[in-house]
Amino acid sequence: MPFALLASTFATVFLAELGDKTQLAIVTISGTSTRPGAVFAGSSAALVLASLLGAAAGGSLSAVIPTNALQLAASVGFLVIGARLIQRSSSPEAEESSAD
Amino acid sequence: MSSEPDPSANRAGSWGAAFLTTFTTVFLAELGDKTQLAALLLSAQSGRPVVVFVGASLALISSSLVGVLLGRWLAKVMPPQQLERLAGILMVALGLWLGRQAVLGLVPSPSDLPLS
Repeated sequence: MPFALLASTFATVFLAELGDKTQLAIVTISGTSTRPGAVFAGSSAALVLASLLGAAAGGSLSAVIPTNALQLAASVGFLVIGARLIQRSSSPEAEESSAD
Repeated sequence: MSSEPDPSANRAGSWGAAFLTTFTTVFLAELGDKTQLAALLLSAQSGRPVVVFVGASLALISSSLVGVLLGRWLAKVMPPQQLERLAGILMVALGLWLGRQAVLGLVPSPSDLPLS
């Protein structure tokens, strides 16, 4: 196992991810969720699967997958989660909402 | 299949809901993320996709662990309602920023400048 390549990929991807919008979303979702374990499992699985596709498809990924359409779908997801959080934060704490 | 939702099903249900919500959102955002693809492409050309995959996965798992721990810490230090409002605003801002990038990508800009 060429350690240099492993270490350089680890550093590149870790730094690329740090402060990336995905990580901000993970911080937000885990901070407001009663299920941090599920959030960790969900985000790790998603990231690993996305990188599996990335590593396997190499250069052809953007040709294969409409990245812009995916980002549009992701942005809708972010907006929905954000709107629900804002709505829940403004509604009185009275009703015990089960944070998903 | 018990008709009325017993507590354990409810707990499993909300674990599943949290897992699914996070998975879908992060997966869509990450797959469309050009920076991550660039990082992978850079290493993938090394001809050792397995090593690249292992390195990238370890990095991604650690970065999501950092994210989750940071989220939990915030949940401890900040009043829940304030955290929820801030979190909601941040997510909406991220959504708008992501949507803008996607739309810009879809609409071929005349000058065709590579928008970072």
